Amino acid sequence: MFKKFEEKDSISSIQQLKSSVQKGIRAKLLDAYPKLETHIDLILPKKDSYRIAKCHDHIELLLNGTGEQVFFRHRDGPWMPTLRLLHKFPYFVTMEQVDKGAIRFVLSGANVMCPGLTSPGACMTAADKGTVVAIMAEGKEHALAIGLLTLSTEEIQKVNKGIGIETYHFLNDGLWKSKPVK
Amino acid sequence: MTNETVDAADRLKIGPRENVNYPIVMKYCGHCSMPIEYCEYYPEYDKCKDWLERHLPDDFERLKIEEEQAAADGTEDDKKRQKRGGKGLLRVKKKEDVPKKICVSRAARGKKKSVTVVTGLSTFEIDLKVAAKFFGTKFACGSSVTGDDEIVIQGDVKDELFDVIPEKWPEIDEDVIEDLGDQKR
Repeated sequence: MFKKFEEKDSISSIQQLKSSVQKGIRAKLLDAYPKLETHIDLILPKKDSYRIAKCHDHIELLLNGTGEQVFFRHRDGPWMPTLRLLHKFPYFVTMEQVDKGAIRFVLSGANVMCPGLTSPGACMTAADKGTVVAIMAEGKEHALAIGLLTLSTEEIQKVNKGIGIETYHFLNDGLWKSKPVK
Repeated sequence: MTNETVDAADRLKIGPRENVNYPIVMKYCGHCSMPIEYCEYYPEYDKCKDWLERHLPDDFERLKIEEEQAAADGTEDDKKRQKRGGKGLLRVKKKEDVPKKICVSRAARGKKKSVTVVTGLSTFEIDLKVAAKFFGTKFACGSSVTGDDEIVIQGDVKDELFDVIPEKWPEIDEDVIEDLGDQKR
């Protein structure tokens, strides 16, 4: 999704958000990520005003007061954290671990295939289809990508073929490389 | 094996960990910008290593030890894991090497007024908007970003710029600032 993303060309407009909309987004985030409650004030301080950057392909980025990208979403999809945020607060998203062999493919932007999630090096936490997941890797500490489950974990285990997680945002893609927006 | 899976499951559990202060301070490689542990998947791993050796010697040592260990008992490990076909290799985009140079020039504006044009600041990865604001407050005049890599400062402040720019951004040497003299707009 962000493979060809470039800060200069892809962001078409930046908007200041109304406080009512801000509240709505905050509530939505807490709804989607209940574990975030303890630290959300660090990520999105209450008094701060956030902005939204509208980008090509119906992507929206949520910027916090300092201009850092913290969340993004595609059309009306769920808000997903950026990897930089996730590295700081790694605990609030469901995590799935892929085996070593899959890392280089994910890092070049491929979707995660089921066998990469079921082999001995991998480990899954049970989740439903359509859940936002952080993709971790065998033997590594930090997340390397963010995606959406296209099958429930049960189905992945059963089918063991084809795409299991659709990758949205991965290390060194366009969003990762973009700098805070002033 | 069971032990390992239990560890992994524990690691993947959702919710804040005890004894950890959030936000976690991350260390990123200065060359590939990824967390250090992923450097080995970058095509220019050698350059990452160079950077690590210079900037984070502690992590570099640890990496070296781990690598040696992996080399010692890695042969067996390779067979057990499943291998995948395909290329799956990252390609590095070549960075265009633009010479780092700043040009300042004076342009006439009307009969007796002039503006100063500064170009090349973005080759030092300076935010132009911030720079323009800074010049404006410094010289108490209008200053704006007028192009891709161009700032126009109202008034003739060319001579001052040679002192002000290196002072504000220490990475810029006075010698790389070039005086283009008077120029037509």
